[in-house]
Amino acid sequence: MALSGIQIYKMLPQTNCKECGFATCLAFAMKLAAKQAELDGCPYVTEESKAALAESATPPIRLVTLKGKAGEAKAGNEVVLFRHEKTFYNRPGVFIRVLDTEDDEVIENKVRTGSSYSVDYVGMELRIDGFAVEAASGDRTRLATVVEALRASTGLPLILVGSDPAVLSGGLDKLEGEAPLIMGADTSNWEAMADLAAGRGAALGIRGGSIEELAQLSEKIKEKGVEDLVLYPAVDSMSASLALNTQIRRLALKNFRPLGYPTIAFAAASGDQGRESLMAAQAICKYAGFVVIDTFAPELIYPLLVLRENIFTDPQKPIQVLPALYEINSPGRSDPVLVTTNFSITYFSVANEVEGAGLPAWLLVTDAEGMSVLTAWAAGKFDAESIAKAVKQFGVADKVDQKWIVLPGHTAVLSGELEEELPDWVIKVGPREAVDLPGYMRQVLN
Amino acid sequence: MPVEIPKDSWPGSVNTVTLGATGDQGGSRTSTVTIGGEQSLPFMHFENPTPHRPVIAMEVAAARPADWSAVLLEAWGSTLDDPAVWARACEDAGADLIVLQFGLKGSDDGPVSAEFAVEVVKEVMDSTGLPLVVLGPGQAEIDNSILVPIADATKGERIVLGLCEEGNYRTIVAAAMANDHLVLGKTPMDVNLAKQLNILMTDMGLPLDRIVMDPTTGALGYGIEYGYSVMERLRLAALQGDAMTQLPMLVTPGVETWKTKESKVGAGIPDEWGEWAERGVNWETLTAVALIEAGADVVVLRHPQSLVRVRAAIAELTASETA
Amino acid sequence: MAGYTAKFDTVTEAVMVSAGELVVEVADRAGIEIHQPCGGQGRCGRCAVRIESGRVRRRSVLRLSQADLDAGYALACQTVVEGDVSIVVPPPERIQRRLTTDHIAPESVVPEGYDPEKAQTVRRVLLSLSPPSMDDQTDDWGRVAMALRRATGVDRLEASLEQIWHLGGILRSSDWQIAVTFVAGGTEGETARLIRVQPATEAENEPLCGLAIDIGTTTVTIWLVDLTTGRVLHQASEYNQQITRGEDVISRIIYGSKGAGGDDLRALVLETINGLVEAACRRTGIDHRAIAKATIGGNSTMMHLLLGVPPESIRLEPFVTAINNWPLLRAEEVGIAMHADGVVDALPGVASYVGADITAGVLAAGLRSTPDTTLFIDVGTNGEIVLGSSEWLVTCACSAGPAFEGAGILHGMRADKGAIEEVWIDGNTYEPTCRVIGNVPPRGICGSGLISLVAEMFVTGIVDKGGHINLTLETPRVRRSVKGAEYVVAWADEAETDQDIVITRVDIDNLLRAKAAIYAGFNVLADVVSVGLESVQKVLIGGSFGKYINVEKAVGIGLLPDLPWERFDYLGNTSVRGAYLALLDREARAEIARIAASMIYIELSADNTFYEAFTSAMFLPHTDLSRFPSVAAAMTNEG
Ligand code: SF4
Repeated sequence: MALSGIQIYKMLPQTNCKECGFATCLAFAMKLAAKQAELDGCPYVTEESKAALAESATPPIRLVTLKGKAGEAKAGNEVVLFRHEKTFYNRPGVFIRVLDTEDDEVIENKVRTGSSYSVDYVGMELRIDGFAVEAASGDRTRLATVVEALRASTGLPLILVGSDPAVLSGGLDKLEGEAPLIMGADTSNWEAMADLAAGRGAALGIRGGSIEELAQLSEKIKEKGVEDLVLYPAVDSMSASLALNTQIRRLALKNFRPLGYPTIAFAAASGDQGRESLMAAQAICKYAGFVVIDTFAPELIYPLLVLRENIFTDPQKPIQVLPALYEINSPGRSDPVLVTTNFSITYFSVANEVEGAGLPAWLLVTDAEGMSVLTAWAAGKFDAESIAKAVKQFGVADKVDQKWIVLPGHTAVLSGELEEELPDWVIKVGPREAVDLPGYMRQVLN
Repeated sequence: MPVEIPKDSWPGSVNTVTLGATGDQGGSRTSTVTIGGEQSLPFMHFENPTPHRPVIAMEVAAARPADWSAVLLEAWGSTLDDPAVWARACEDAGADLIVLQFGLKGSDDGPVSAEFAVEVVKEVMDSTGLPLVVLGPGQAEIDNSILVPIADATKGERIVLGLCEEGNYRTIVAAAMANDHLVLGKTPMDVNLAKQLNILMTDMGLPLDRIVMDPTTGALGYGIEYGYSVMERLRLAALQGDAMTQLPMLVTPGVETWKTKESKVGAGIPDEWGEWAERGVNWETLTAVALIEAGADVVVLRHPQSLVRVRAAIAELTASETA
Repeated sequence: MAGYTAKFDTVTEAVMVSAGELVVEVADRAGIEIHQPCGGQGRCGRCAVRIESGRVRRRSVLRLSQADLDAGYALACQTVVEGDVSIVVPPPERIQRRLTTDHIAPESVVPEGYDPEKAQTVRRVLLSLSPPSMDDQTDDWGRVAMALRRATGVDRLEASLEQIWHLGGILRSSDWQIAVTFVAGGTEGETARLIRVQPATEAENEPLCGLAIDIGTTTVTIWLVDLTTGRVLHQASEYNQQITRGEDVISRIIYGSKGAGGDDLRALVLETINGLVEAACRRTGIDHRAIAKATIGGNSTMMHLLLGVPPESIRLEPFVTAINNWPLLRAEEVGIAMHADGVVDALPGVASYVGADITAGVLAAGLRSTPDTTLFIDVGTNGEIVLGSSEWLVTCACSAGPAFEGAGILHGMRADKGAIEEVWIDGNTYEPTCRVIGNVPPRGICGSGLISLVAEMFVTGIVDKGGHINLTLETPRVRRSVKGAEYVVAWADEAETDQDIVITRVDIDNLLRAKAAIYAGFNVLADVVSVGLESVQKVLIGGSFGKYINVEKAVGIGLLPDLPWERFDYLGNTSVRGAYLALLDREARAEIARIAASMIYIELSADNTFYEAFTSAMFLPHTDLSRFPSVAAAMTNEG
C-alpha cells in the first residue's frame, strides 16, 4: 500500500539539508507520497529505506497487457478493493466470443460489426476490446483458419480458448508478434500450456474451481517462466463467482503473490441474454480484468461499456453532474433560466429547492470542472464567458421567449460582463443561498 | 497449496427492518417483508449467510403517469389507469413490495388532495396484500398534507412513508411515530448527509429499526458511480459499527433510469444504442444489479421484465452455495 | 425536618434552611437574587458563590476548577445546604473571570529585555555638532555623517534629496543640536539610510514611533508603538473600507484586476490605515512624522492590493503570488501617513492563501519554540491553520467567510462597544441573557457572540443538529419572518438600534459553514501528517473574535476540537502582534523569514478529502459525535 508522507519522512535522513530542492525532508516526503517527486532527489537515502519504499511501490496485482495487431487490452495494477479508496485503474477488456464451429459468415459478421462498433458517451468513443475464439472443433487446422480469417477483418487482441495445447498452437501460428491470451491451463495440461505460452510470448489463463487450485497452478507455471498470468475462477453461479473474485482480490492486495494477477470472467450463458448481461455487469463491478460475452447486441454492449466507464472513473474528482439545461417542474417559454455549476451538491441543492417549491424553471448547469459556485468563481471557472458559452451550447435561447437569466448571488459581480456577453438577455442576480430561491422567484421574478 | 481465505469479521451489522403488518400484528397485509440484518458485505456467504435477500418493489403511480416512457406504457397497458389493478398485477408478477407514488395530480386532473390520497391507499391495500411504501410528490407542504392523513387512516400497517428530507422530516416522522409506521429518508448522494438525516430523525425519538434510507444513486451513465460508492461506503461504515449508517438501503433504479434519454426516447437516436425496449430494460437491470452488489436492500423497479431478471439474479446471488 | 442556618455576607440576618434546599433557594429567601442565565441548570457557571464555612453537597461542579473548589466555590443552583453555612456572594464580574472556559486575549506586553540598541533597526540619536568655522569647512552633510559614525559606528549614510534640501536650515535653526533618525541593518560599518533630521529639542518631547499593522480582509488593526521603550501607545481597528468592493479576497482580486479597480482598492485600504493612524496620532498627541517605521502583516491578497501589485495570479491556477518576500519599502511610495522617508517592512508570506498574517502569527504564537504538536488557527474571513512544532510546520487555508467577524450576518457587527459577545439561554423559558461589550444596550452580535448564541440555542434545543430552528417551541422569540425562521436575541426596546436583534436560519447556515470549513481544515492537516487531533497538545487561537472567546462554546458548536480546556490559549490578533514583535526586534523579523521558508502548504482543493471533512462538519457539533465526547456527555445530561 502507498505510504503516507509521515511514513516516508521516517525513512529519510531528517537533516533538512535542502539538496532535494525542498525546504525540509518532510516537504520532500509529502511530495514523494503524492508521487510528485522521485526518491533519487535525495542523495542521502539509505539502501534499506530505498528497498522498503520500492516494495511499497510494487503493484500487488500484475499488469497484464494483451496485444493484437492493432490495439491492446490491459488488466491488473489495481490497488484497492473499493473504488472510493483510490480508484480502479484499468477498465476490464470486453471480449466477444466466437466458436470455431460456427459458420464462417456468422463469425465474419459478428467480428466485423463488433470490431467496428463504437458509441459516443459524453464525448468519449466507447468500443469493445477484442474477441475470444473458442476451439470448440478440437481441430487445429480449423482454429488456424478461423483465426486467420478473423485477422483479415480485425486487429484487436485475441483470446484463444481451448484445453489442448496442440490445437491452440494452430491459432497462435497466425498471431505472430502478438501477445494474445491462451485460455487456458488447468491441472491436467498446465505444463504443456506453460511451454506453449512461454514459446509464443502469450499470456496464460489458468482455470481453477478454487482459490487453492488457482494459487497452486500459478506458482508452478511461474516457475516455468510464464509471468503474464490471468486467473479464471471457473464457477457457475453469480454468487460463487463474486465470492472467488473477492477472495482473490483481497489476497492479492495483502501481497499474496500467487494470486496477484488479473482475473477473467465468462458471462456467456446459454442464450439467456438477461442473465448474461447481469453476469457481465457483476464482473465489471467486482474485479474482473477481462469479461467475455457471447451476445453482440448494441442494446447490451452500450450499457455495459457505460457501466465500465462509470465504475472506472476516478472518484477523487469532485462529484459532477453533466453540464446541460435541466428542466424543473416542466418549465415553459416564459419561465426563468437559473444558472449554476456542475458540482453535484450545488446542483442538487438548487434543483431540490426549486423542485420542492413546485416552481417551474430551467436550470442551466455549466461545466465548472465539478466545483461549487464559489470555488469555481474564485478559480475563474465560472465567469461570464463560460455562462454565455453554455447558453449557446445548450440552445437556451430557443427554449424561452422571456430571456431572464438568474445568477447565483455570490457572483453578482459577473452581471456586468454577462450583459456584454449576452446582450439580448436580462441578467438578474438571485439570492446567495439556494434556500432563498423559492422566495426570490415568487417575489422578484413575478 | 492451502490458502487461508481472508474473512472479515465486522463489529457492526445492518438493522433488521420489517415492512408491513399482518392481521395478527395490527395490520391487514397478507405478508410482511423483512430486510437488512447483514453482517458482511453483500453475498459474502463464506463469511455469513445473507439473512434477508434484497427485495424488489414495483412502483405504482397513484394517477396515470403522464411522463413515463412509451416502453413502460406498452408493457403495462391499461393496468396503469387504476393503481389498485396495477398493484395487483405487480403482486402477481412477483413483486415483494409496492411503492405507491403520488404526484401533484389527483382525480380528474385536479390537484392531489388528502381525500383522494387516502382513498387510493385504501384501494391499493384492498387489492394487494403486499406491504406498502407511500411517497408524496416531493413538495414539503403537499407531502405533509397527504402523508399525515394517510398515516392516520392506516395506523398499525407499518407503511413506509416518504420522503423525509433534511428540510422536511419533522411532520412525517411525527406521523409515523404516532401511527406505527416507518419512514424513508432521502439524501443527495453523500455519506455525511445520509448520516445527518438519520441522526435528526432518530433525535426525534424514532427508533432506528423504523427507518429505511435512500442515499440517491443516479442511473447508469448518469452518476451511478457516485451513488454506488456512497452505498459501499455507507455499508462499510455500518459494518464497522457506525449506528447512523446501519439502515437498510432502498434505491430507485426504475425512477432513475426511465427518465434517461436512453430509456425514454425511441426515435432519432444513434443506431449504436440498439433496440429500444431491450435497451431500456438493460439500463434498468444493470443499474439495479450494480446497486445490489453495492448493498441495496430494496430496489424499486418499473418494467415487468426487469422484475423477472433482477429477481433471478437475486436468487442466484443469495443461493446458499459456497465457493 | 432538620433545620440549619445560612448566613450571607451582604445580609445581617441569618435565614433558616430546611433539608435538601439549594443555595439559590435559600439566597432567595434572604432577599439575594442570584443571577442564573442558564435557568439553574448548572450549565453556565454564573451563579458561583463561595462557601466560607459549613457543609454543603455539590451536585455538580461543572465549570469550576480544582482551585475554585479549594477556594470554596460552589454553583448556587447545584449545591445543597447540609449544615450551618456562611456564604459569600461575589459580584458577577469576579465570577466571570474565574471560569475556566473563558479565554481573554492577553494585553500586549513588551518583550522581556527589549533593548532597542541591539534589537531595533530604526534608531534615533542626539548629535551635538560643532558648528562650521573657517578652520572647519566640512560640509553640512559630512558633518552629520561623521558625527553619526562617531556615535553609532554607522559607516555610510544615504538620504533622499528632500532630506538634503532641509538639512542646512535644521542644523542652523537648532543651533547644531540635532536628533537623527535612521535605519540600519545594525552590523558595524553597514550603510544606513537617513529617515529624519530634527532639532534635538523637538525630539526630546516626542517618542520615536513605529506602527504594527495588520490588514485583514474585513478588519484593519494598527498599534502605535514607542520604539524606544517598546510600549504600545495606542491600538485601534476599523473595518477595511475595501469591504464595499466585495467581502472576500476573491471579489477583491476580481475587482482589483479590472480597470482602475486596483487603484481604487489601494486608495481605500490606505484611507482605512491612514484614518486609524491619524486618529492614533490625535489621541496620543504624536506628530505623524515621528513614525519612522511600519511593519505590516496581512494576507497575500491584502498585501498585493496595498502595495499596488496586480493580484490576479493569486486566484487562478496554479495559484501563485507576484511576490512573497518584499524588499524594504519607503513610506512615501507606499502611501502610509508617517514620515515620508520612514521604512515600511511588508512581512513575507508563504503562498497565495497563506500570507504574512500567518507567518507573523506563527511567530507571535511561538509555535516554533515548542517540541509539542501545536495547532494554530487564525480565524478571519479566511481561516488559516498551522499544525506543527519546532520540527515541522504544515499549513492550509480554508475560506470561512466573514461570519466570525460579524459580517455577512443580518445583525452582525465587529467586536466593538454594543456588540453582544456572550449569550446564555434559559433552557426552560428560552429567554437569553447577554453580555454586551461596554455594558451598553446591544447594537448587534459579534463573532464570539454568534458562536456563544448558536451553542446555547443548540443545547437548549432551539435548533437541531442540522441548525434548523424548531418553530414549534412555545416562545415568542422563535418565529417565522420573511427571511425564514429566526430567534430574537434582544427585543427592540432593549436594543440600542430600536429594532429586534435576531439570528436567522441563514445566519446559522453561514456560521455552520464557517465553523465547518475551519474544523475540516484541522481534520485534513492532521490527516496529511497522520497526527490524531486528540494528540494535539496546545491549540492557539488567533483572529477576529475581539478580545474574547469562550472555548466551551466554540467546542460546543464543533468549531474547535474537543480537547481539555487548558490546552487552549486565545491570543487575539496574532498577525498584528507578530508584526509588533518584528517591528521591535530584528531577530524576530528574521525568524518570520525562517518560518515562511519552512512551512509546507497543503492545497485543500486538490481532492475530495477536504470536501468530505467539510460536509461531515456541517452539523452541530459534528456528524461524528464521537469526535466531541464532552459535547456528547453534556447532551446526555441535558436529555
Ligand atoms: S535531500 Fe534528503 S536529507 Fe536533504 S532535505 Fe531533502 S530529503 Fe532531507
